[in-house]
Amino acid sequence: MGYVTDAARALATTLRNALRPPTTVEFPAVIRPRAERYRASFALPDDEHGEVACIACLACERICPSQVIKMKSGGKRESPVSGKKRAYVDEFVLDLSACIQCELCIQVCNSDAITMTREPEAPSFSREDLVLNLVRLRANAHDKTAAWGRGTVLQEMQEPPKAEKPPVRAPTEAPKPIQAKEPPADAIAEPKQPPAPPPQPATATATVPETETP
Amino acid sequence: MSPLVHGAAYGVVIVSALLTVIAFGIWFERKFAGRMQSRLGPTIVGPVGLFQPLADVVKLLQKEDIVPKDADRHLFDIAPILAALCSLGAAAVVPFSSSMVAADLDIGVLYVLGIGGLMVIPTFCAGWASNNKFALLGAMRAIAQSVSYGVPLVLSVLVPVILAGSMSVSGIVAWQSTHHWVAVWPIIPGLPAFFLFFLAMLAESNRIPFDIPEAESELVAGVTTEYTGAKFVLFYMAEYVHTLVGSALGAALFFGGWDGPFAPGLHWMVAKTLAIFVVVYWVRWSLLRLRADQLMDLCWKRLTPIGVALVLLAAAWVQYGPEGAR
Repeated sequence: MGYVTDAARALATTLRNALRPPTTVEFPAVIRPRAERYRASFALPDDEHGEVACIACLACERICPSQVIKMKSGGKRESPVSGKKRAYVDEFVLDLSACIQCELCIQVCNSDAITMTREPEAPSFSREDLVLNLVRLRANAHDKTAAWGRGTVLQEMQEPPKAEKPPVRAPTEAPKPIQAKEPPADAIAEPKQPPAPPPQPATATATVPETETP
Repeated sequence: MSPLVHGAAYGVVIVSALLTVIAFGIWFERKFAGRMQSRLGPTIVGPVGLFQPLADVVKLLQKEDIVPKDADRHLFDIAPILAALCSLGAAAVVPFSSSMVAADLDIGVLYVLGIGGLMVIPTFCAGWASNNKFALLGAMRAIAQSVSYGVPLVLSVLVPVILAGSMSVSGIVAWQSTHHWVAVWPIIPGLPAFFLFFLAMLAESNRIPFDIPEAESELVAGVTTEYTGAKFVLFYMAEYVHTLVGSALGAALFFGGWDGPFAPGLHWMVAKTLAIFVVVYWVRWSLLRLRADQLMDLCWKRLTPIGVALVLLAAAWVQYGPEGAR
């Protein structure tokens, strides 16, 4: 008999499902709203002068757990735009096929020079197509929407809160004495004695918390 | 027109119609299954995925025809053809309207049950000839199941036969159109007999929840494990035709076949058949597979005694019922 009721419930469930609209969508044609902090691919954005912001400090290459980032520094030279001396990156290769999207490279970047994008890369037939070089990464910064996180933002977020002044320790109250057990039933009618003042510990001072200056 | 020409002409028409219905039945099944699982089902090939079965057939026919090294070549080749023959042959006596029937046999019911029972032979041929343990196990399970469920199937079909006093499918439908549908009145042997028929039909055509001969999670694909390409298409088609013909028989024997108001008989017959077909899909995508021993338990300890009781009730109804002794 259990099988019959279970079968009826199963049939009812599938019928209910069949009568309501499907929950799936056709992915490439319809893209569901992605989560606020969804991140997929990478980009190397420009700085305010229109040059690549990366200064090849190797921080992201060193922290990458899957070691998919390889870069070559171009050394320091004067910027043709701003005239200031700064470091440049010559080659930057990010192998997306082994990337685990941990965002650590973004978090360590002090110059906000690497970001993630909200649009994923197109699926490809060869692994080589998933290796992003400097040209593709810079193009991504223009073509794709940047994801939520940037290095300085994330670093500021993760910094421990700065204390305004050394914390003042709140004065500790004297420990409450353990309440005596309820008197037996015949003693309830008697007028209740005011409880004896709690025995002060020897170290307790005469100052009470209310009178203490804040 | 000689009966041979008549039969051949109807055969061509009915086989083409069945295959078309099955092609879109597969589309419908996939779509319906998708919706039951809150998915979309096929959408890419053609409008709303309507050409998906055609694409599947083209894909399957392109596939390499693999024969296992130690297979019994002749049996291996002939099994899918026999399977298709057995299932399509059963369609011969299904009346699609009062005049549209390929072969109006006097013992049509017996013929259908017999040719349906013959399905065990191609099944065992395939399982044996594949020289594959999964195929052989699947074949053994299929035979055990088909032979067992033949008993409640025959008992359930006997109810309309006794009530109508005829073994011709058209005769039973004609009786229903002048009296009342078997599943409607007398409701006690009629409707339970239909349920019995439905369950036994599911088991005979190896549909879920009685698909232990295929049992993907246990036996790869049962008897069809070693079959590819066109031969697999034949098996696949045979299974669908078996189900479709079973649904048509259910409609004819229990729900009055072509009998119905307003519309031509053919429409009513097709509508009733498809309604039962849809329920088969609905059950298929809702229930879990029974274990082999539960299957046998259900057949021999529950369905068979119920079937015997229903046959006795039907006989009593005919003899002592309000419509009087015949």
